[in-house]
Amino acid sequence: MISFELSEQQHQIREMTHWFAENEIRPISLEADRLGYVPEDWLEKVNQFGIQLNTSSISNSKNESGNKKGVREGNRMAVIATEELAWGDPAIALSLPGAGLGGPPIQSSGTQEQKERFLTIFKNDKPRWGAYALTEPEAGSDASNIQTIATKVDGGYLINGQKIFITNGGRASWVVVFATVDPALGRAGQRAFVIEKGTPGFTCSRLVEKMGLRANETAELLFEDCFVPIDNLLGGEEMYEKKNSKRSGFQTAMQTFDSTRPIVASMAIGIARAAYEYTLEIVQQGFPVSGKYHQMAAEMFAEMEGMINAARLVTWEAAWKADQGIPNAKEAAICKAVAGKMALDVCAKSLELLGPIGLEGHIVEKLFRDVKVFDLFEGTNEIQHLVIARRQYEPYGIRV
Amino acid sequence: MISFEPTDEEKAFTEVAYKFGGEDIRRSARENEQKGFVHHELIDQVNHLGFLTMEEPESLDGMQLPLISQVQILEALCYGDLGTVQGFPGLGDGASVLRVIGDQQIHEEQRHFVKENSCTIAFAEEVAEEMAQSRLKLTKSNNAYMLHGKSEPVRLGNIATHLIIGIKDDAGETILFWLDKSRNKWEVETCDNRLGLREANIANLSFDEASFSENQIIAKGNNAEKILQLAYTRIYILQAAKQLGLMVAALDYATEYTATRKAFQQPLAKFQGVSFRIAQMVMEIKMVRNHIWQAAKATDDSHSNAEGYALSTMFAAHKGIRFVTDSAVQLLGGHGYVQEYPVEKWMRDAQAQVILYGREREFLTRRGDQILAETEKKVMS
Repeated sequence: MISFELSEQQHQIREMTHWFAENEIRPISLEADRLGYVPEDWLEKVNQFGIQLNTSSISNSKNESGNKKGVREGNRMAVIATEELAWGDPAIALSLPGAGLGGPPIQSSGTQEQKERFLTIFKNDKPRWGAYALTEPEAGSDASNIQTIATKVDGGYLINGQKIFITNGGRASWVVVFATVDPALGRAGQRAFVIEKGTPGFTCSRLVEKMGLRANETAELLFEDCFVPIDNLLGGEEMYEKKNSKRSGFQTAMQTFDSTRPIVASMAIGIARAAYEYTLEIVQQGFPVSGKYHQMAAEMFAEMEGMINAARLVTWEAAWKADQGIPNAKEAAICKAVAGKMALDVCAKSLELLGPIGLEGHIVEKLFRDVKVFDLFEGTNEIQHLVIARRQYEPYGIRV
Repeated sequence: MISFEPTDEEKAFTEVAYKFGGEDIRRSARENEQKGFVHHELIDQVNHLGFLTMEEPESLDGMQLPLISQVQILEALCYGDLGTVQGFPGLGDGASVLRVIGDQQIHEEQRHFVKENSCTIAFAEEVAEEMAQSRLKLTKSNNAYMLHGKSEPVRLGNIATHLIIGIKDDAGETILFWLDKSRNKWEVETCDNRLGLREANIANLSFDEASFSENQIIAKGNNAEKILQLAYTRIYILQAAKQLGLMVAALDYATEYTATRKAFQQPLAKFQGVSFRIAQMVMEIKMVRNHIWQAAKATDDSHSNAEGYALSTMFAAHKGIRFVTDSAVQLLGGHGYVQEYPVEKWMRDAQAQVILYGREREFLTRRGDQILAETEKKVMS
């Protein structure tokens, strides 16, 4: 039956994460942005509370056991919670300890041993992070064109190459790194490795400075004859050697997007909502209650509300499909494209309503700077269009 | 629990409606438009299937379906053709008024008439008294009401046996009443409508000092306004669902056309300008459908935000149908502009529907006023 009511568990997680976002994240938001990092003592504290950005519960696996009634709702829970965290502050939300975007590929493609080894390290004794490294200087949207090389050697692989724009890449305990065993093989040659911090030949060469999300670490990673043992090949050698196996690292990367795009979309929605609610409060206090400014504000808020709501519903739909074990690549692309674009527009409209006072001391200008990247990472808006169009033309045998 | 899964019953109804819409309605659409009315055989068919009484209360022998079921069926029917569906006779938008007022306020005489006759109702509201084109006036003297002037164009006005009218009288009180062709007189002026929905029997209704009896009044004052508010919430959602059906039709048609037609030795779909526009149409449709479903569920559940959702939905559906039907014409190029292909009709119908069912900016202003007056800051969810 069609329903838009939250389950009791979903309601609880929304209330809980909102409380945390409002009382713990938002108060340090502007200061963390100014510092360019999230204070270590704050991260220690929240980690002790067990608060993490752990997306590894996201799974399309039909084997996921589900809640008490046997209903799988992990994806819906994740998008609901993430919206609230990003409402507090997206840069801090992305800096929360946990497997982050590295979790889903391990969850979906890792062996049982790998899942246990890499996904169970996130304990409350000290903060730890996971990371996901796909993008390279010459391969962004065209992920099939990665140049990082994995050369088979005795007992493992030697990795050589460079990765850029890696969230939490410098501080991560491990990074899921995509490399190719032979560029001539294209997608079929790609493999995913889990490379642990401290592995000889693996360095963080630079932390980049950005338009927004300044409190969140974005790293460039360098791999120079970096030896990775065979046990760290995601899924194990057998997965690729099986007769007729079409499995490749590229598929792992793409499948990851089906899980992570709704998460990223929900973050954009949280940002938009934050800008909307903040601005609404100011307008309610400071704008006239009739006349042209009132009417302008009324129209803009109604439009923003509709846009935010629409983005949330398509995101919930993508998450619901994942929970049902139904392929959701199209819906994942739709929600990412809709939410990324919408959120920037809402932030811009909020700034327009604030006027010149929005330049200083208000969180909305920070949210505007933060939100732009949500239309870029995890696949640009244009890539989402491509994914959607491909699905639309599939019945006609046309690959656009 | 958040779910996008229709019930088995809804799926079964929708399947029948898609078949009827996609085949029978689609096939007769152009002919209906040319004649200016829907062919009686098609009306018999839709009557037989029961799709004309979905909104009607059970007390009037209607199906009284929840909105969430109706919107799925209407989408499927309008996949065939919006103009044809809008031309179907029956209680039309008046059904929503009757659904809202319930058994208690339907006078026995009216109930008997509706049940026993093939009644068609046109619904007109004249509340924007500050608008220059609003020319319908209701005056009260010696406890009798007198209606005078000409209405704006209303759907089904041409064939209406009954009218439900909501209007403020000269003292500023809203009066909701109904008129019966057998005892009240009005003139019908068929619109010289060349834009769209030409088969929807749109007409102006003229009244010359028309009086009506007390038992024709459904409600007055705040009660009448509340009924209108609730009825419009339902009407907006149902109309948005119809618009969605046309949007899906336009998308499917444009997808097939751009997949099969070639230019520069390759399918049009291979050009990114084309495929990206198709992707935008897909996104627009997803968003509008979710809006509609959410508003329908909220209304079925008597959610306090139901009206807000409906206003938001209608804005999205108006914006969406204009974009999608225009895109379909654009993607067909010159072929989109000529009547050998259906998309030019769909674009005209879409624009006619949009101006017939509320001004887009007005939806925003009304919802925006509600938002600014609310103490709850959160976006509805």
